[in-house]
Amino acid sequence: MPELEGGEGISPQKIVILGVGNLLLSDEGVGVHVAHELMKLDLPPEVSVVEGGTDGFRLLNVITGADRVIVIDAVKGGADPGSIYRFDVKDVRNVPSGFRTSVHQIGILEVIDLSVLIGKTPRTTVIGVEPKSLEMSMELSPEVKEKIPRIIELVLEEVKRLF
Amino acid sequence: MAKRLVVDPITRIEGHLKIEVEIENGKVVDAWSSGTMARGFEALLTGKDPRDAPYVTSRFCGVCYSVHQLASSRALDAAFGAKVPWGGNLIRNLVMGAEYIYDHVLHFYQLSALDYIDIMAVANYTGKDKGLLAVKDKIVGLVKEKDTYPFTPRYEPDEFSVKDPEMVTTAVKHYIDALKMHAKARDMGAIWGGRTPHYQNIIVGGVTSYPDINQVFRFRTMLDEQKKFVEEVYIPDVLAFGTGPLWPLAEMGLGGGHYNYLSYGDFQLDPGGKEMVFPAGVITGLNPADIKVARVDPEKITESVKYAWYKEEEPVHPYNGEQVFDLDKTNAYSFVKAPRYDGKPMEVGPLARMIVAGNPDVLGLVKKGAKPGAVARHAARAIETKLVVDACYTWLDQLLNEMTKPGFKIQDTDHWDPPDSGMGAGFSEPPRGALGHWIKVKDKKIENYQAIVPSTWNASPRDEKGVRGQYEESLIGTPVPDPKNPNNIVRIIRSFDPCLACAVHIIDPNTNEIRKFIIE
Repeated sequence: MPELEGGEGISPQKIVILGVGNLLLSDEGVGVHVAHELMKLDLPPEVSVVEGGTDGFRLLNVITGADRVIVIDAVKGGADPGSIYRFDVKDVRNVPSGFRTSVHQIGILEVIDLSVLIGKTPRTTVIGVEPKSLEMSMELSPEVKEKIPRIIELVLEEVKRLF
Repeated sequence: MAKRLVVDPITRIEGHLKIEVEIENGKVVDAWSSGTMARGFEALLTGKDPRDAPYVTSRFCGVCYSVHQLASSRALDAAFGAKVPWGGNLIRNLVMGAEYIYDHVLHFYQLSALDYIDIMAVANYTGKDKGLLAVKDKIVGLVKEKDTYPFTPRYEPDEFSVKDPEMVTTAVKHYIDALKMHAKARDMGAIWGGRTPHYQNIIVGGVTSYPDINQVFRFRTMLDEQKKFVEEVYIPDVLAFGTGPLWPLAEMGLGGGHYNYLSYGDFQLDPGGKEMVFPAGVITGLNPADIKVARVDPEKITESVKYAWYKEEEPVHPYNGEQVFDLDKTNAYSFVKAPRYDGKPMEVGPLARMIVAGNPDVLGLVKKGAKPGAVARHAARAIETKLVVDACYTWLDQLLNEMTKPGFKIQDTDHWDPPDSGMGAGFSEPPRGALGHWIKVKDKKIENYQAIVPSTWNASPRDEKGVRGQYEESLIGTPVPDPKNPNNIVRIIRSFDPCLACAVHIIDPNTNEIRKFIIE
């Protein structure tokens, strides 16, 4: 897959931090909760924070407009609730049996695939959090909630590495 | 001997839907439509400040957030007694107008077109057009790398699939162009909504921020580009396919259903709403030779839960609806309730709106022999996109004019505080069809909240009388010559643009290998 190497140490033109998930389904919304916290911080002008919500297609303009993307999302890998994952989207392509959110709607990974078709695919890193609850609620579970400050730290470290 | 066929999930739609059919002699004789994800977000709203409703309901669905924000704000307008100034209405219309352009283009190219073409025909393109050759190279390259998402997995093409290399390659080129166009349409909505996704400008009584002249001109410039695409690419493609290789499906009336149509009406073209882009109306048992449109009476709307996983109750008006799950109920097969108008199932969406409006282009196709069904649905969608594009120009001119008036207003500031008690309904016609929100306020808080979304009408299960929902009925008689490749079933269902995306978006790798990426 062709990729723009907005690499380490080079200052890319546009970094997008994308918090995705559904705010109404407890830990499913962890990415959005983190995005809301990040919006309160004073970040460099090259960095924008986006509440991505749940539909990938609607993020195509955000993704193709970025040089570097950091996604925050719930990741269901069967680990202890609150476990934190970090991976580049290109690395999960080799995971056996595929990684696509095939049964749901078009997800973030599919949109990255689609962005190949219109010529621009920014390097994308996912900071993932293992959810505990996907019940209907606007609150996070305690296990995930207590990780929020640490997730913010990790995202900021990620950003710092790009400058 | 009837044979059961289950298509689960129907892919390339928004959300999760299962369709089960019974096939006899190569044709569908019965059908069941199941929404397999529980919804009922309304329960989250009880006890909240009513002004939170547009914010919370815009998260119901990951897809149509602004649509819920608008319907919810209109329910509040009614409950609070707020009068939206014309300037506020114009901006609401422009937000929704951009939504139409975005949604319909995406639906045709990204979600539907692949049902009608044999993508592999691209490899046989032998013409000289540079753009098309580039498309051929790209697709052939992806096939070589075995990285053919989003074009596969797919059903094997059938006798109706378009196989002409030039037509298919052109369609794939437009598929790619459409990706660019709807990414741009997103930004049009954000001009008014402040950001994308999850615009945040629609509130009770109007909108939050005054427009400036630069916004108007930016929107107009972007609209010019979309208009060109709609008129020169989208509509010609739909008509070329619909009146060309797909005409047999149009004549057959594949996916017709009950022929009952409902439109709540939307998009005022003047402050009094005398003229609407989409007039309100209801049609029962369409007779194309003599179309009778009745006035919509919201009191005639009820929801039945006999075949849905909710506690048994008599059909009720949405003001009194509840969401108490009952997963042990025998005979239940869906989380979608069964809304009915005057006791009857209805189709909502582009075809319903265009027939209710008596649109001459759509009725012209019907006169030529196209029966209302899957193909007509795509045509209606394309034709109404142009109506909305044209209306956007009118609204921009009207907005510029309003902005010059002294005392120009965009919100009814006198009705910001919730009433002690009250109730209100908010109706709109977002791209997928009739949407209603109902709110009851007590002690300044939300006492009850209900929404009936467009796909609830279309994807409805049977009602208490055993009458099928619109998807179910539209599948009866459908030819399925090869049950392994039920092309016609997915063509019909996707022609409605289902959206049951209420809306999980987790990364779920179906493997524990992902755990090697745990960092703490």
